[in-house]
Amino acid sequence: MTAEPEVALDPASAPLPGPSSVGDAREQRVYVASQWQLMWWRFRKHKIAVVSGLVVIAFYAGVLGADFLAYADPDASEAQRSLMPPQRVYWFDGWRFGPYVYAVKGARDPQSFKRVYRADPSQKIPIRFFAEGFEYRVLGLIPTSRHLIGVDGGLDAGQTVFLLGTDVQGRDLWSRLMYGTRISLTIGLFGVTVSLVLGVVLGGLSGFYGGVADTVIQRTIEILRSIPTIPLWMGLAAALPREWSVLQVYFAITIIISLLGWTDLARVVRGRFLAMREEDFVVSARLVGCSQMRTIFVHMVPSFMSHIIAATTLALPAMIISETALSFLGLGLRPPAISWGVLLQQAQNVQTVAISPWLMLPAVPVIIAVMAFNFLGDGLRDAADPYGR
Amino acid sequence: MTDLGRTPRTRQRRSRIVMALGVGLLTTVLAAGALAQMAKSGLIGKLEGPEVVTDPAKFPKTFNEAPQLAALVKAGRLPAVAERVGQDPLVIKPLHEIGKYGGTWRGGFTGPADFWNGFRCCSGPDHLMFWDYTGDKAVPNIARGLEMQDGGRAWLLHLRRGMKWSDGKPFTADDFVFWFEDIYRNKDLVPTPSAAMAINGKQGTIEKVDTHTVRFKFPEPYFMLPDVLAGSTDLGGQWSAYRGLGGFAPAHYLKQFHPKYAGEAELDRKVKEAKFDSWVRMFLAKNDWALNPDLPVLSPWKTVTPINTPTWTLERNPYSVFVDTAGNQLPYIDRVVLTLGENLEVINLRAIAGEYDFQQRHIDLGKLPVFIENQAKGGYKVYLDPGDYGGDMIIKFNLNYDADPEIGKWFNTADFRRALALGIDRDQINETFWLGTGTPSSVVPADSNKYNPGPQYRKLWATLDVKKANEMLDKIGLAKKDAQGYRLRSDGKGRLRIEIMTLGGQFVQYTQISEMIREQWKKIGIDLTVQEVERSLALKRTAANEQQLGAWNNDGSEHLFTFPLHVFPFELAAVASSGPLYVKWFHSAGAQGKEPEPRMKELMEKWKKAFGVPEKERIQLGKEIWKIAAEEVYIIGVIGMGPASMGVRVVKNNMGNIPSRQYNSPDGKTPGISRPATFFYKK
Amino acid sequence: MLAYIGRRAILAIFTVWAISVLAFAIIQLPPGDYVTSYIAQMASMGSVVSDEEAQNLRIQYGLGQPMYVQYLKWMRLIVQGNFGMSMEWRRPVTEVIGERLWLTVVVSVAALILTWVLGLPIGIYSAVRQYSVGDYVATFVGFIGLAVPNFLLALVLLYLGFVMFNAHIGGLFSPELQDAPWSAARVWDLLQHLPIPALILGLAGTAQQIRIMRANLLDELRKPYVVTARSKGLSEARVILKYPVRVALNPFASTIGYTLPYIVSGSIIVSVVLGLPTVGPLLLKALIAQDMFLAGTIVLLLGVMTVIGTLISDILLVWIDPRIRLEET
Repeated sequence: MTAEPEVALDPASAPLPGPSSVGDAREQRVYVASQWQLMWWRFRKHKIAVVSGLVVIAFYAGVLGADFLAYADPDASEAQRSLMPPQRVYWFDGWRFGPYVYAVKGARDPQSFKRVYRADPSQKIPIRFFAEGFEYRVLGLIPTSRHLIGVDGGLDAGQTVFLLGTDVQGRDLWSRLMYGTRISLTIGLFGVTVSLVLGVVLGGLSGFYGGVADTVIQRTIEILRSIPTIPLWMGLAAALPREWSVLQVYFAITIIISLLGWTDLARVVRGRFLAMREEDFVVSARLVGCSQMRTIFVHMVPSFMSHIIAATTLALPAMIISETALSFLGLGLRPPAISWGVLLQQAQNVQTVAISPWLMLPAVPVIIAVMAFNFLGDGLRDAADPYGR
Repeated sequence: MTDLGRTPRTRQRRSRIVMALGVGLLTTVLAAGALAQMAKSGLIGKLEGPEVVTDPAKFPKTFNEAPQLAALVKAGRLPAVAERVGQDPLVIKPLHEIGKYGGTWRGGFTGPADFWNGFRCCSGPDHLMFWDYTGDKAVPNIARGLEMQDGGRAWLLHLRRGMKWSDGKPFTADDFVFWFEDIYRNKDLVPTPSAAMAINGKQGTIEKVDTHTVRFKFPEPYFMLPDVLAGSTDLGGQWSAYRGLGGFAPAHYLKQFHPKYAGEAELDRKVKEAKFDSWVRMFLAKNDWALNPDLPVLSPWKTVTPINTPTWTLERNPYSVFVDTAGNQLPYIDRVVLTLGENLEVINLRAIAGEYDFQQRHIDLGKLPVFIENQAKGGYKVYLDPGDYGGDMIIKFNLNYDADPEIGKWFNTADFRRALALGIDRDQINETFWLGTGTPSSVVPADSNKYNPGPQYRKLWATLDVKKANEMLDKIGLAKKDAQGYRLRSDGKGRLRIEIMTLGGQFVQYTQISEMIREQWKKIGIDLTVQEVERSLALKRTAANEQQLGAWNNDGSEHLFTFPLHVFPFELAAVASSGPLYVKWFHSAGAQGKEPEPRMKELMEKWKKAFGVPEKERIQLGKEIWKIAAEEVYIIGVIGMGPASMGVRVVKNNMGNIPSRQYNSPDGKTPGISRPATFFYKK
Repeated sequence: MLAYIGRRAILAIFTVWAISVLAFAIIQLPPGDYVTSYIAQMASMGSVVSDEEAQNLRIQYGLGQPMYVQYLKWMRLIVQGNFGMSMEWRRPVTEVIGERLWLTVVVSVAALILTWVLGLPIGIYSAVRQYSVGDYVATFVGFIGLAVPNFLLALVLLYLGFVMFNAHIGGLFSPELQDAPWSAARVWDLLQHLPIPALILGLAGTAQQIRIMRANLLDELRKPYVVTARSKGLSEARVILKYPVRVALNPFASTIGYTLPYIVSGSIIVSVVLGLPTVGPLLLKALIAQDMFLAGTIVLLLGVMTVIGTLISDILLVWIDPRIRLEET
């Protein structure tokens, strides 16, 4: 974002180092620091970006540990638990720290037809940490059945805890959200990778060679950006064979989304290439006799790597929102798959807004994730060029 | 991805069975209580409706009309009401009271594909015969009387003297002959003859006896004709006119669009001017009740701004033949205005907000609590009209599936089907998706339906019995299971996987329900995949014999003989089918397709036979058909007699003559069966 | 300058043609055609369409022919000013789209204006009061707009509008004025209904504008001429508004180029949820029903709108910023 006045990075304007100047050590460090170290220092100054970075790391930790964080089978439906509001957690049992919830009994009110739940104060269900629950495999390899939280007796008990309430089919929202997070965030990664590859390759061709290639690619980009994305998605999504499993549809969707996402990246790359073509170090590399490939990959790419990282990070939120939108339209992931988009799609109706609004909670991680990626990307972009302003 | 890196849990499966049984018991108790409570809650009333008065002695002698029509008569622009109505008016006794003229009925529709909306509310109905309010008996409607002759081979239709089309021209036997000779028999307009005009595959004819009498003639006795004329069939009024069917058509108006009467050159000019592709397209568009405001009609309201605009408006037909017992020409309500709702949430929200006066179509049962909550604020009352058909949700086995012979073999094994039927926890599904208002059931229709084979068939193979299901599956050769507990195929090729095809965006949430069933079938070791598809794709795959299981409903099946589509494989164009090859066999009298297995063949033959036998025998045949259906479980019944499919009704408090419960059926064109022409605004 | 405009215009025409091909291809992608969809609809209502009838329909609608033939037929019609017949609505496409296209433009432009009206002042404030609480709050709020899924927001607002204000549900007009001819009253009615759709649509774009404005203005504020102006005694307001802001505004001209397709496209989903009589819901239904000419025309028109928008913004940019003119020549 902004430069720090204290660390003058332009050697020409820095005061001549004297053996007794106070800023000696620091300036020495600056001069010998590598590009990446400078980037890190610059990045660190941007507090929000750092916090966002931590949030993103937390999210991806959640992705890996989704099974651990979930405590109920996300597909286990039970009509008697349908549309249960989030349970109130009591943190202190007497004086001790011992979180618990009350058992809940529900019935359908014959007058209002709503499901009404009453907590039964006589039945306390203590929440256990690292409790036993359903079996799963850590990283697909190690079978275990420990979860972050749970209740005694795992699923043998007719009750369990419902932190965020349940959906229409009585499925625990928290657990579904954990699995949904996993899918939504990984779709973003795959899609961004595809966009990245396309963007760098095509943008590079465009910027480095210029001329005809540049014009063609530029025009293609323009055309693609002028087409309203929804029909494009719809057409492509509708063309997917119905026999494909949810997994295959998932990959196809990411590719479809990224087919449009690469344009921004390509423009950034192209801009960088254009600017850099005339730089001294590139010219000298060519003069020295480096091949084109070497010039590009050894000399040019590293210098705008940081920009690429920044742009990629900024492209992720767009992926997430796209997946959400597509699933909402019924074109992206569909049940029984679970993603943020699917969860929101199931909440996209009047009865949810009016009577069971907790089902809209999946919007919160969407918002947080998008904001975190945006701030992170901003921070990275500002830090991307430590030699510039 | 929920299946990535997770193993189903054997230990918890057992404990979950215990839990399920416990919960199941609790649920049954609660459900029974809830059901009793629900009846008390006042949402489901008593079946009632207006009656048609057939005794001429009770006809009114003097007539009244709406004030604006009276003004036109005074100005000399309209003949007197007695002349407009004719000597044989269609007299309807309003349900509660004689109504008042005036008002605009506001409703919502979803676009040009939603023509049923208008037909159900506003077409009269204009069938020649129609159902009484119980949906049981066919009584004369547009036709004054129907007389059987020649042992059922001929039917004499008596028309009403002085009855006129909406433009004042007489409605006579010529309109029937025109339809039969010039529309029905014209291969461009109607490429395939209709099964409704045929008995045992042989087509009938229509001939004029005199101005007000028409004869339908058939080569063999066609006892079902009155029911066919009453139902929403190809002979059921102007709703199918846009496809060239209906039984009658306004000859005086349509002749100008027909090459036989207008010259070829003249017709070509008209077609080009109106920007149609061909005279056929133009003719059928002109004959469209919902699309052409100039088309003369017999219904109480006629289209003024057509269905392909944002507001579908209908206004009173000044020549309406409907009157009430006091001689007031119906309808009471002046106008019907249906506004376009871009999506179902918007329509439901508008209904919740009280922006519609009477809305039955597109109301989502899942929103029932919100509707109830806003009754006072919106000034309306909510009614539930459960259907009479056994399956608000059914699952069809495609008995012809041959892409995988192993699966085909099991689908053709009765005990396999029965076991799967026993593996479904219907109470859970009822509570979650029907809010407890449906009835867990096999496919047979309501107890009050005349073809119902007996109360013991309601629960036949339609309860939850996991133990028995497992035993049955073990016995037929699927006893081996894999590590996760799923049954292995008998041909050694691994796990037995079957797939169900569902449609999204319907009144009933087939996909979500199928997901629930998928979880339930895990307990009997069956691995089910749920595949949601678009309507057109569903049709394509079904017709191509690519479907394994199909989810749908069997609405209309309570009228077994006019709507057999969901009882046995009757049509290729279906979103779910029990056997497309059987359809071909059925319609080609054995020449094409594949011969059905013995019991289904028996079912089909009984069905065909019923058309040519008197009513008593027909009823007996109907019961036997349902018996076979319930015993063989070609189709699994899940939840029946529910209000999910157009059974939730929102009516403003200021409307009168509203029945507390209606017979909900496509044949009854609900709410048409309650004669909306008698609805009125109290204030 | 003229040469530049000329070149861009030719390029724009080429782009439009490419869009038409792409649009047509997309619509043909899903298997089946309108008749399959029509049969499906009929079947779900219990009516049966026989094979012969289907065949007839196909011939009459010209659906049996190969793709490029249908495309050429469509192109030929368009050149004559006839956009074809919508099979679902059974009316000429131009009638079906009717005033919806204008309403789409109105809603999109309203959203665009809103992003400027909200984004610019907040961006300026953020830049001037950098790192203050106000800066963080403003940026944060701006970003929330970016992150919230707007279709969910639309439904919530719709419901709240009804519950709290008894507002008419959805749409851009009150029921009485829905089909009325244009009049001052109708325009006023439209303006009253616009804020919520415009807000929902424009929220995401607002965050962008804030960021860009802030970044650009910050860059400008560091430049020597600003220091000079301050030292010469100009009031703070003049210092900021008279020069830096104007320069910082330059990129906005170019942002129309990519914001417009984004807004138009985003408006499709929001329009569906809010029940707006714009092109969005129409397009969705047409794509599902595979109503070829209607869907193709709408996609084409939307593409044209955005291309024109981009063209205008490019021209504006060149006009405003002489440096670009020099660069290009």
